[in-house]
Amino acid sequence: METIVNDFTINIATANGTGSQSANTVLLKTMFDMGVPVSGKNLFPSNISGLPTWYIIRVSDAGYQAPGDRTHIMIMMNADTWQKDIDSCESETVIIYNSDVKLPVERDDCVVLGIPMTKMARKINPKLARMIANMYYVGALVHLLDVDIVSVQSLLERQFKGKTSAIELNMRAIEEGRAYAEENFGNPQPYRIEEREKIEGQFLIDGNEATALGSIYGGVNLLSWYPITPSSSLAEGIIQWLPELRNTEDGKSTCAVIQAEDELAAVGMVVGAGWGGARGMTCTSGPGISLMSEFIGLAYFAEIPCVIWDVNRVGPSTGLPTRTQQGDLNLLREASHGDTDHIILIPGNVEECFEFAWRAFEYSERYQTLVFGFSDLDLGMNSWICNGFEYPSEPIERGKVIRTQEQLDAVENYGRYRDVDGDGVPYRTLPGSGLAPILTRGTGHDEDGVYSEEPEVYRQLMKRLKRKINNARSELPVPILREEEELEIGIIYYGSMETTIQEIDDIIEDTGVKVSQCRVRALPLHPEVEAFVERHERVIVLEINRDGQMYGVLRKELPIHLVPKIMSVAYSDGLPPRAKFFAERIMRTLEELSV
Amino acid sequence: MSIKLNVINLEKSEYTGGKSSLCPGCGHDQISKVIIQAAWENGIPPEGIVKMSGIGCSSKTPAYFLGKSHGFNTVHGRMPSVTTGAAMANKNLLYIGVSGDGDTASIGIGQFIHAIRRNLNMVYIIENNGVYGLTKGQYSATMERGSTKRKGQPNDQPPIDLCKMAINLGCGFVARSFSGSKKQLTALIKAGMSHNGMAIIDVISPCVTFANNDESYRSYGYVKDNEEPLHVADYIPHFSPIAEVDIPEGEYKDIELFDGSTLRLETISDHHDTSDVVAALSAIHYAEQQGKHVTGLLYFEADIPTADEVQGLVDIPLSSLPAELMRPSRAKHDELIRKLIG
Ligand SMILES: Cc1ncc(C[n+]2csc(CCOP(=O)(O)OP(=O)(O)O)c2C)c(N)n1
Ligand code: SF4
Ligand SMILES: [Mg+2]
Repeated sequence: METIVNDFTINIATANGTGSQSANTVLLKTMFDMGVPVSGKNLFPSNISGLPTWYIIRVSDAGYQAPGDRTHIMIMMNADTWQKDIDSCESETVIIYNSDVKLPVERDDCVVLGIPMTKMARKINPKLARMIANMYYVGALVHLLDVDIVSVQSLLERQFKGKTSAIELNMRAIEEGRAYAEENFGNPQPYRIEEREKIEGQFLIDGNEATALGSIYGGVNLLSWYPITPSSSLAEGIIQWLPELRNTEDGKSTCAVIQAEDELAAVGMVVGAGWGGARGMTCTSGPGISLMSEFIGLAYFAEIPCVIWDVNRVGPSTGLPTRTQQGDLNLLREASHGDTDHIILIPGNVEECFEFAWRAFEYSERYQTLVFGFSDLDLGMNSWICNGFEYPSEPIERGKVIRTQEQLDAVENYGRYRDVDGDGVPYRTLPGSGLAPILTRGTGHDEDGVYSEEPEVYRQLMKRLKRKINNARSELPVPILREEEELEIGIIYYGSMETTIQEIDDIIEDTGVKVSQCRVRALPLHPEVEAFVERHERVIVLEINRDGQMYGVLRKELPIHLVPKIMSVAYSDGLPPRAKFFAERIMRTLEELSV
Repeated sequence: MSIKLNVINLEKSEYTGGKSSLCPGCGHDQISKVIIQAAWENGIPPEGIVKMSGIGCSSKTPAYFLGKSHGFNTVHGRMPSVTTGAAMANKNLLYIGVSGDGDTASIGIGQFIHAIRRNLNMVYIIENNGVYGLTKGQYSATMERGSTKRKGQPNDQPPIDLCKMAINLGCGFVARSFSGSKKQLTALIKAGMSHNGMAIIDVISPCVTFANNDESYRSYGYVKDNEEPLHVADYIPHFSPIAEVDIPEGEYKDIELFDGSTLRLETISDHHDTSDVVAALSAIHYAEQQGKHVTGLLYFEADIPTADEVQGLVDIPLSSLPAELMRPSRAKHDELIRKLIG
C-alpha cells in the first residue's frame, strides 16, 4: 500500500458537551507542533449539550485549509448520527468507531476499526469515562498516522498547565488507545503524518481572538456588547486581554466594558462614546445588526466615529445560528433608512483580523463615520495558523478633533459640519471642552449643526457625505491580486473564502484554465478592483450566500461597460466552502457562458 | 443696574438656550427655565454640563437651555444608552437627560430600567404629559386610567408609574414634581445635580394642546387641585454656609448630598421618611387611589456605586487618554507574541 503523507481530512463525529473538544485540540495542536500544516473546523449545533458535532481536521502540505470535499478518516462516537456518518463515507475511507456504541458498521469497502473506547475509559476512571473515551481515538490515530508521542505528551502538559492528574489520566488513555490499535490492527491504512520543519513564529488562533487583540491595539475605550454566537468570543477575548495589555501600572482600566441589555443599547453606548471623544466598539452578528439599524443611520448622518464588528452567521432571522455565511454584506453596506453608505473592512485571515481591528478605529475617526468590520463564523471561531501580528505600522491618529482654543481659532469659519478643508471631513469639538458647543442631532442640520429643513442645505449635506466616503476608497485596504499573464478569467472573492481560494484555483488550473484572483478587502470598492475587472476578459464573483451580494455591489458600483463581464457564483448551505464543489460551479458557469 | 452673577461669576444668560418652538404654555418650557435657573444658581460651568435627550417635544428642549453646553438629541427612547457611552468617554461631566413619557415609558422603557440598574451617574428628567405630544396626542403608557384628553375616548389602560418603577429598581434618588411648582422643582433638580448616581425626576408637564382639559389628570387645572407635596423642599448649596440659613420652625430633615450641598425637607402634615422604600411606594399608592399626584423627594439613598465607578477607570477622561495608554508598548507586544506561540 502506498502511503499518503500529510494530505488528508479527518472528520470526528461526536455530540457536543462530551469533552471531545479537548481531544480534538490535542490532535490539532500536536500536528501543528510537528510543523504539519493543519486547520481545524468545528461544525457545532446551537445548543449546549447532546446534539451532533463534527470536527474536521484538514492536513495539507499544500497549505489547503478548507474542510476538503471528502473525508479520509472518519471517527464515529455519536450513536445519533451513526448511519448518516457511515453513509457519508466514500469507498476506502478509514472508519474508526467506538464499538461500545453497539451499532453495526457494515462497510466492506472501507477500512473499519472498532475500539471499545467507553469500556476501556471506564476502567481508568468510571466517573470521567465519557470524557476520556475521546482520548482513545487520539491514541489510535497516534499509532495509525505515526504521530510523535513525545509531542502529544508535551502538548498535554501545556494544555493542562501542570495539573498532573489530568495530564496522567489523558496520557494513559491515549497510550492505551495507541497500544490497542497497534495490537489489534497493525496498520491497514495509508495515511501518515510526517514531521516538517516548523516555521518560526507561527501559532494557532481564531479570528475573533485576533480581532479582539487588534481592537485593544486600536485603543478601544468602550466595549459594549450583547452576547450572540458567533461574536461573543470576540468580546470575551477583549475582556480577557484588557487587564494585561491596557491597564495602567496601578491597575486602572482604560476601557469600559458593558454587557448591554440588547443590541440597541450596545450600539447606543458606542455612539455615545464616539460622540464623547472615546473609541467605542461593539460586536454582534446579523440579528444584532438588524436591531442596530436606527443608530447606524444616526452615526452616519451625525458623523460619529463608531466601530461595529459583524461576525456573520446564517440568516435570515435566527437562521442557522452556528453555521457560516457571507450573507450580511448587503445589510451592512447601506444599513439604516434613507441614503447611507458605510465603510466595511473585510479581513480574509487572522493576521488581517488583527490589523483591520486597529485600523477600524483609525478610519472611523479619520472619516468621522461608522466603520464595520466584517468577519464570519468560519474565520471567527475556527483555529487558523497565524504568522504573527505585526505591531501597528502607524501611530494612533485621532482625526479632526479640536481640543484647544488655539486649534479652534486656526480653523477658518469653523462649523461642526462645514467642509473647511474641502475633503468632505469637517472638524469636531468634544463635550467638556467648552469649545463651539452644539446640540448634535439626527434631524436635518446646517453647517453649524443648527436644525434645518432647507432643501438645499439637506442636499448639500448628503452630497458631502457621499463625497467623504468616496474619498476614502483609495485609502482603504487595497485588494490582494494574484494575476496570471493570460488575464482571461478573474475571480473576485472576499473574507473567509481566502482559506479555500488557492485550492479552487489549483483545481481549475488542472483543467488548463488560468485564473487570476482579486480579494476585495474593503467597501466601498477600491479603484484597483475596477482596474482588475477592466484587465480581465471575464470575472467570476465568488461568495458564500444565495443571491450574490458582492456581485450586486459590483453591478452597482462598477462603470456600466464593465458590468457584462462579471458573473456570480454564490452558494450557501451553512457549511464552510469546499474547494472542489465551488471549482465545479465556477467551471459550469464559464461553460454556460461560452455556449 | 447691577448684573447678577453666580458663584463662578457668570450671568444667567450664559445658561440660556435658543428660542423655543413648542406650543405657548407647554409645561416643557417651564421645566427648561427651571433647568437654566438651577444650573446657574448651582454655579456649574456650562462646559461641564452635557445635555442629552431622545425624541419628542420634550426631547427637543435641550435646544432651548444651556446653549454653552454640548448636547445630543439622539433617537427615540435611546437617550440612556447614548448617555452611558458618553459618560464612559468622560465621567467628569454632569449629564442631564431630558425625556418624555413616550420616550421613557414605552419605546425606551428597557433602556430606562437598565440605566437605573447600572446607576448611571446622571439627572434623568421625564417631562410627563401622559400623551405623545409630537405625534399629536396619542395616550402614552403613563396616563392614568379614566383620564381623558381633549379629543377621543378616556384612557382605558392602567398607567406605568415611573417613580414606583425606579424605586423598585433600586434607584438612589427618586422624585416627582410638577412643571407649575417652580420652587419645588428647582430644589429637586438642583439636588439631582448634586447627587452622585442616577437621579430620576418625574415631572408632570401638561400638554396644553392635546391634554389640558379638566378631565385630563395631567392638565394644569387638575394637577393644581390635586397635587400633594410630601414636604417643602429647600436646597442649600455647598458654597453657602448652612449655619446662616434660617432654621425652620416645624419638623424638618436634612439630606446630605454628594457635593456637600443639602436638601432640607420641611414636613407639611405627616413626616415622610425618604430612606424607607415601603413609605415611598405607599405614598405613591395612596395618592393614586385618590386620584392625587404626590410630589417631592420620594426616595433617597447615597453611596450606591455608579456605572463608571464600578469600571475602575483611570482618573483622566477616556476621551483624552495619551497615546501610550491607548496601545500596548512594543515590549508588551513581544511578550504577547511569545505567549501566543506558547
Ligand atoms: C423609532 C421611532 N418611532 C416613532 C417615532 C415618532 N415619535 C416621535 S415623538 C414620539 C412620541 C413622543 O412622546 P413623548 O416622549 O411623550 O414626548 P412629548 O412629545 O409628549 O413631549 C413618537 C412616537 C420616532 N421618532 N421614532
Ligand atoms: S404638543 Fe403638547 S407637548 Fe408638544 S409642544 Fe405642544 S403642548 Fe407641548
Ligand atoms: Mg409625552
